[in-house]
Amino acid sequence: MPMEGIKRGDTALEARGITKRYPGVVANDHIDFEIKAGEVHAILGENGAGKTTLMNILFGLVQPDEGEIYVYSEKVNFRSPLDAIDLGIGMVHQNRKLIPAHSVIENIILGHPRAGNILNLKRTGEEITELCDKYGYKIDLKAKVWQLSEGEKQVVEILKALYRGAKILILDEPTSALAPPETKKLLASIKAMTRDELAIIPFITHKLPIVLTVSERVTVLRRGKITARLATAGATEESLAKEMVGREVIFRLERVEVEKGKPILQVENLSALNDKRFLALKGVSFSVHEGEIFGIAGVSGNGQQVLAEVLAGLRKAEGGKVLLDGINITHSSSLERWQMGVGYIPSERVEVGSIGDFSLVENVAMNYYFDDDFAKHGIMDHKKLRKLTQEFISEYDVAAPSPNTTAKSLSGGNLQKLILARVISRKPRLLIANLPTQGLDVGATEFVQNKLIQAKKEKAGILLISEDLDEILSLSDWVAPIYEGELMGIFPGGEAKRENIGAMMAGLKQKVEVI
Amino acid sequence: MWDFHVRSLDASTILTIAALSELIGQRAGILNVGIEGVMLFGATLGFIAAKITGSYLLGFLVAIAIGGLIGLLHGFFSITLGGDQVVNGMGIWILGFGLTAYIGYPYTGPLGMERIPKIMGLSPFFFVGIALIIITWFVLSKTSLGLRIRSVGENPSVAEVSGINVTRTRYLSVITSGMLMGFAGAIYSLDYNPVWNYNFIMGWGFIALALVFFSMWNPFILLGGSILFGSLWQLSLNPQLVLPGILSRYVWRMVPFAMTIIVLLLMSTKWFRIRWGAAKPEALGQPYVKG
Repeated sequence: MPMEGIKRGDTALEARGITKRYPGVVANDHIDFEIKAGEVHAILGENGAGKTTLMNILFGLVQPDEGEIYVYSEKVNFRSPLDAIDLGIGMVHQNRKLIPAHSVIENIILGHPRAGNILNLKRTGEEITELCDKYGYKIDLKAKVWQLSEGEKQVVEILKALYRGAKILILDEPTSALAPPETKKLLASIKAMTRDELAIIPFITHKLPIVLTVSERVTVLRRGKITARLATAGATEESLAKEMVGREVIFRLERVEVEKGKPILQVENLSALNDKRFLALKGVSFSVHEGEIFGIAGVSGNGQQVLAEVLAGLRKAEGGKVLLDGINITHSSSLERWQMGVGYIPSERVEVGSIGDFSLVENVAMNYYFDDDFAKHGIMDHKKLRKLTQEFISEYDVAAPSPNTTAKSLSGGNLQKLILARVISRKPRLLIANLPTQGLDVGATEFVQNKLIQAKKEKAGILLISEDLDEILSLSDWVAPIYEGELMGIFPGGEAKRENIGAMMAGLKQKVEVI
Repeated sequence: MWDFHVRSLDASTILTIAALSELIGQRAGILNVGIEGVMLFGATLGFIAAKITGSYLLGFLVAIAIGGLIGLLHGFFSITLGGDQVVNGMGIWILGFGLTAYIGYPYTGPLGMERIPKIMGLSPFFFVGIALIIITWFVLSKTSLGLRIRSVGENPSVAEVSGINVTRTRYLSVITSGMLMGFAGAIYSLDYNPVWNYNFIMGWGFIALALVFFSMWNPFILLGGSILFGSLWQLSLNPQLVLPGILSRYVWRMVPFAMTIIVLLLMSTKWFRIRWGAAKPEALGQPYVKG
């Protein structure tokens, strides 16, 4: 390992006065940052705060306009990520930079000369196993990456960085998409790595509690500037959020008690296939009532996506029944469902939720073109649609210059607000919200969650699908963990235990028979 | 009967080397549908060079060189310019078809040289083909160069982040691929059937292209497929050698094409599609733009 000569407390990386300007914005405005060997120093900020730019500068993907970077007191000048890698900087990307068709070991050694011209997989395998033992990772080196869970893929990325001799590790949103037990393992391995004098820089948008448990120092960015440098010991979740957003953020979402009404959605023994034609949903039964949020908690790829698509009419059910207000809609088309009061917020806002090259008005029209009020005899009333879009923009606080802007120019949070607006404005009986806050920053997340609560107050039945256990637990009246296409049980929201649900999401606990 | 097998294996050799060349390019993410055109170029110019100089060696070298040159051209369009590989490949085919008909016309007729000696009755290129299969398999799956080639075919941006020069690796593959295509063409015109004729490759390049997809990008399945198709082709030419008096030869002429349809049907089954999807180089046919 390249750890020789490094003492705990040495300054591992220092950035001085980093400035990067893009047309119209200063993405990084004189950022000063330093991290010591053996330390975890988190960088916090909302989407658009300049985190990505800073991260890319530290990894050599982007060159700063001004400022200097020092690695172990030596001034460096990164022209490409290769320069950064050579100097011992490793990066664990949020959208994994791995080749799914290749094995774990092939991914780790890719492009690294130490493996030799004729690959000596036995020797490298031993080296990697040694790294695994040291930091508590377990992974099958011969497995193909596409077979791995998100947490395992992250382990592969970390191992790849370590194998290349990283002394400074940048983690991009390290805990997003991890099941709670995987998060726990990650935190333990971070601790183990700092004992070996590695410097670790996690970049984080949400999941603030993680920041508090693992890091010693935090730097908070807002609109390209540093707004706070704190020792985590004195910080709280609320104080961090306040620095990030610039105002108080209410964390404890109050579960609003709404009188339980009639059942809206009844799902009986529903099963369906995924794109690869495997059975991904295996006989699921539950019901959602008026004024109720039914939360499905699961790590992605466990059938929740398939369930949402079947309920929205986008995917065929293989067996079972779906009743909406007592009417069998199992074989109804998506349009019929919209007209009967099903509202669907897809998880893929860019691919399914919007058409990037269309204007906001046209995107809003997607959920209104079939309404006689907005399209008489098939001729769309653009004036009315434009007015409606304008209302959405102001009411939902969408940052868009005009209703004619294209959807692709909006940020993720603003696009989600627009989608939310057009779906909720139809006053759906059943609202299917699939990962509604995924990838959103603290401010937008709070906004979306409040809108869901408001819809609940207005007597809608809400099916909330989320990977974020905190979100599920604080919003839902019922919590159902999903694992490999089966609901592991259905628990009243107030009584559900975090550890219990977390273990069920990861398949570590047996299925519980529902009352 | 033995004659038939020998003749089949000779045909299979050409298909094997042609398909292998396509496979090498495709593993790096470069699709060359103009393989037929490259083979025509290699076959025609190799034929002319051999006829003029009287040297087989020179003939093959010219064929390999022209193949590499067209590979370079294809690389320039699809790697450097980031153009559509299918469109460019079709361009290469049409160019090869037209230009070789024009250039080769004065040389119509037999080569008129002593035949290349056989080894145990087989063409020496049969052994070259087997060796190339083994070498390709070894390089692709056991060496770091192979890992680099496969990686730029799967996900060039990941490869780039890992310190691989995507452009260089793709050029290397596409040029090697082109050289082997030219070589395969020359085996046809100098050894298998040393007579120049209008459009004499008769779609073998396209059969080779289909074989790559059928092989799931595995050199050994590719070899098996090539032998199967080579034999069927030979059977369709001389059915009386194997099954005298059974069915009209017109029926036999149809067999390779009927077989193609059956293979395509098999390929569209669920079983095959799942495995095929997993084996297909993820970035096949996609230009890589540094981001």
